Amino acid sequence: MNRILNSRTLKTTAIAAAVIGVVGVAQARDQIRIVGSSTVYPFASYVTEEFGAVTEYPTPVIESTGSGGGIRLFCNGVGEGTPDITNASRRIKVSELERCEENGVNDVTEVKIGSDGIVFAQSSTNEAMDLTLEKLFLAVAAQVPVDGELVDNPYANWSDIDSALPDREISIYGPPSTSGTRDAFEELAMEVPSEEMEAYGGEGYTDIRSDGVYIDAGENDNLIVQRLSEDTDAFGIFGYSFLVENPNTLIASSIEGIEPEAEAISAGDYPIARSLWFYVKNQHVDEVPPLYDYVDMFLSETMVGEGGYLMDLGLIPLPEAEREATRNKVQERTSLQLSDLQ
Amino acid sequence: MSHSFDDISAQLKGRHRKSARLKWISMGSLGLAGLFLVLFFADMLSKGLPAFQQAQIQVEIDYNEDAQRMGRAALEPVVSRLVSRTFERLIPVRMRDNPELLGTIENRWVLADSEVDQYLKGHRHDLSESLQATVDALVEQGRAELKFNTTFFTNGDSKMAEAAGILAAALGTVMTMLVTLVIAFPIGVMTALYLEEFAPDNRLTQLIEININNLAAIPSILFGLLGLAIFINFFGVPRSSPLVGGMTLALMTLPVIIIATRTALRSVPDSIRHAAFGVGCSRWQVVRDHVLPLAMPGIMTGSIIGLAQAMGETAPLIIVGMVAFIPDIGVSFTNAATVLPAQVFTWAGEPDRAFVEKTAGGILVLLAILIFLNASAVILRKKFERRW
Amino acid sequence: MAGNFGLPAESRSGSLAVVDIHRENPMQTNQLLALFGGAMLLLGLVAFFLGRAKAARVRATGTAMYAQPDQYAWFTVLATAGPALVVSAAGAFLMLLLGAEIPALYLLTASLVVAAAGLMVGMSQVRPNFHARQAIERVIRWILVGAAMISIFTTFGILFSIVFEALRFFQMHSFWEFITGTVWNPGASFLAAAGRGDEASSAAQFGSVPLFAGTFMITGIAMLVAIPIGLLSAIYMAEFAPSSVRTLAKPTLEVLAGIPTVVYGFFAAITVAPIIVDVAGFFGLDASFNNAVAPGLVMGIMIIPFISSLSDDVINSVPDSMRQGSLALGMTKGETIRDVVIPTALPGIISASLLAVSRALGETMIVVMAAGMRPNLTANPLEDMTTVTVRIVAALTGDLEFESAETLSAFALGLVLFTVTLSLNLVSVIMIRRFREKYRVNNL
Repeated sequence: MNRILNSRTLKTTAIAAAVIGVVGVAQARDQIRIVGSSTVYPFASYVTEEFGAVTEYPTPVIESTGSGGGIRLFCNGVGEGTPDITNASRRIKVSELERCEENGVNDVTEVKIGSDGIVFAQSSTNEAMDLTLEKLFLAVAAQVPVDGELVDNPYANWSDIDSALPDREISIYGPPSTSGTRDAFEELAMEVPSEEMEAYGGEGYTDIRSDGVYIDAGENDNLIVQRLSEDTDAFGIFGYSFLVENPNTLIASSIEGIEPEAEAISAGDYPIARSLWFYVKNQHVDEVPPLYDYVDMFLSETMVGEGGYLMDLGLIPLPEAEREATRNKVQERTSLQLSDLQ
Repeated sequence: MSHSFDDISAQLKGRHRKSARLKWISMGSLGLAGLFLVLFFADMLSKGLPAFQQAQIQVEIDYNEDAQRMGRAALEPVVSRLVSRTFERLIPVRMRDNPELLGTIENRWVLADSEVDQYLKGHRHDLSESLQATVDALVEQGRAELKFNTTFFTNGDSKMAEAAGILAAALGTVMTMLVTLVIAFPIGVMTALYLEEFAPDNRLTQLIEININNLAAIPSILFGLLGLAIFINFFGVPRSSPLVGGMTLALMTLPVIIIATRTALRSVPDSIRHAAFGVGCSRWQVVRDHVLPLAMPGIMTGSIIGLAQAMGETAPLIIVGMVAFIPDIGVSFTNAATVLPAQVFTWAGEPDRAFVEKTAGGILVLLAILIFLNASAVILRKKFERRW
Repeated sequence: MAGNFGLPAESRSGSLAVVDIHRENPMQTNQLLALFGGAMLLLGLVAFFLGRAKAARVRATGTAMYAQPDQYAWFTVLATAGPALVVSAAGAFLMLLLGAEIPALYLLTASLVVAAAGLMVGMSQVRPNFHARQAIERVIRWILVGAAMISIFTTFGILFSIVFEALRFFQMHSFWEFITGTVWNPGASFLAAAGRGDEASSAAQFGSVPLFAGTFMITGIAMLVAIPIGLLSAIYMAEFAPSSVRTLAKPTLEVLAGIPTVVYGFFAAITVAPIIVDVAGFFGLDASFNNAVAPGLVMGIMIIPFISSLSDDVINSVPDSMRQGSLALGMTKGETIRDVVIPTALPGIISASLLAVSRALGETMIVVMAAGMRPNLTANPLEDMTTVTVRIVAALTGDLEFESAETLSAFALGLVLFTVTLSLNLVSVIMIRRFREKYRVNNL
């Protein structure tokens, strides 16, 4: 009896020790923590993978929380459980920076990494179709002005919008309302042209039609591209990167006479493009040693430069002088001031 | 009268024909279901088997001065655009760690870019004509070929299809399942013991029973909402961690284990209990020393099946954030991780077409594990099943 | 690559304070936990051996005792560890619930003090007239009750977590509009979350009817596949098949239920959907790649074993006397099945089908991967349409903040899903119980 009991006690002891051992092993590593825009996510995750592979540090953790959500988390404070970097597909707003400073996050370096263009493309079996922002807007908006009054979008064929356009059914695969690309499209391709149309009273209009012409294609952009090669009448709205990845199957429309090409986007000529940023919390530099190693790797010529790896993924590089200026800013850990934003 | 006999027998023949028809139709349905299964596996195999092979290129690595900064400088210009970036970027690292390499030349097989891989497999690819010619020439010289893809089993996720592997996800699955098992197995067995051996037949017991049946039928995604709202937002369990994933799945697996354990306990004949009570055992002693050991094979079988079910589950894990990008091979309960089915889901959404076969390859591995688990459950049952 | 993750030790410990993602500092929590566990283990061992030694000593004097020494020993362990665990758990819970800051060290000390007190009490109970065995049994019984309550807590946990967030949603948008509205357009609420709310030009609309229409359409297609095939397969297996076929066919069919849904989703999106589009094109019809037929069909295949397995059991439990009676009256086998067996088994078959419907309604991965994202109120299954579960996943994984109306709408949708599946399950349970009582079948 005693021996049995002892072996049982031993077993219990072993199990308890094992549990405690496991708990003891599960401790944090010095990992950079990144949040923010889903538009920047593919670029950032490429750099983090590289960072994890070629340095002795673990791969940083990235969460895609959206630009607004990312900045909110970032500005929650300094230290414990707050992210070190937030990615953004727009510049931080004055109100957001004020909130940051209220919470003690008062030493932030702003880094501009390049631009991102949104293309409007179709299967390359078709002729290219040249559009203007206004024509594109008329094809996707829920309500459009007809004879000065707003009515439900009546256009079924491209030729209804402009008789110069082909007599083809309008059919557009685009990102869902939860995606960053959709956000950018609404901002750049809908708000901008609608603000200049009298019928909207000078206000931006961003409602996309929901009568089946605009098809919410889900987050799976792979399927959008595949679909475009099957459904040759349809257009797709997606990030410039997908155009780069599928040069043989897709053909993009020029907007306002400007083709979506790297130079035009980088120079700001192509209208549906925006700059991408990330923000670094300098107050974490001492606690997170690899922080600026990561930033330096991100800004290296092999990543964001001409012909860099991020360009293959669709990032459009900044002009060389601006890249150099950004690097200098990072070198000096220049703190972003409210006056910079105004 | 014979006339009417003919009528009847004709009628009878018709009725029997109808009966036979039902037999053939119902047999056809079963056959159809079997056919679906065959088609499904054939489709997955044809899509997934190529993932176990990967193009490799034999290159000459010249560890020169320039290569310390740019890995590409170490490769011959002809092949440098065909070699995977995941290899190239490690050249400077390797030279830093082994300074004696400087000035030496090494000849070895390395991973090729996924476009080369897709080209060699005859899939859709984006290689330019001139690069295609280069690859053809390399194949001719025996310097490029498809080899068994060990990377797939030794790497974590990657943005580059050729280097993407399932090891990180597999380890994540192991950690998550450990948490699930450690929570669900004891609680499930104890619940079943209570209901079968201890509980009085009152309202509370009935409520628990009905409740367990309901839990078994609640859509899995709602368990994800529970995990998000209670485990993550309320208790502050780290998001995306095997801990939160395992806890969520444990609650989902609980009913399966409870129901299996109850069946196993019920199949232990009462005579065993009577005999044990007869020699003065207390209720707990009867259960611990006699009923539970006899029911164990059944309990184990049920638990393995429950675990296999949890292992294939994705929806609740998406909600608790276990679809993270995990390139590192690491073992931890609290760091961000992913699991096999979630990895399959993320790969299915990758824009690079080379990921389609990775997805199917991941599926094959997942299916192999599940079939192994279920088969071992069946064998366990066969081996230890006792008819009383 | 694996060789590169090693870190110099000082950089590890130096950065711990900031990089962790816990609410508390995990290193400290882990250390405390280890300390607590170690102390508990030690005290437990001490209690065990002290208790047993004392009991053995008493028994050695020749006094008759109510229990064995090791039972006293285990009782001492319980008395030591039990209250201490309760105290620390309660403290931790209070901290979480009320946000009260109880320094972990105090909590640790408090529970250790309680443990020591427990040890004393336990030791004092080691005396001949104390029923240690019964005391242990009572504790064990309560532990078992506690385990059984967890499943109840789970249900309430699901209910509460959904209801609270759903209520927050219904404060922003009316319940009536949610239930009866035919337009689901959360676009503007997304803009608010992205930080551009002030620029949004129109209000978000959350009318869930199109989502439920899509859900029911896909479920309907799945049932059109699963019920006939599943039921006929069950009839074949139960009434016609030789036993060798039956033993092979049943587990083979179960394989269909064991395949992970994410795999079915991939199959539906990559293989089945293009086939549907081609077939529809052959007949001159225009099908979307996100059509409802592909996920419906694949979901139907997945559900076949749910129906066949349960129906098979039900058909098998129809008493043989009914078949004998029918055959004796001259009915053919087919007629017996059609007119006697199936009508008798009908409640069980309906119950199986209801369970299958509830399963299909809540199915997520297949529709996330193969069905569309567009809320679409249509009767044409070749168009793309979205489902409740797709919207839940989209709302909780997109670029959204937790506070936005679209994220909270996921919980409102979850609440409806919960209610619908729960009622289906209850009806199904009641029907099978009727059947069981009527034919005195115990194995269902």
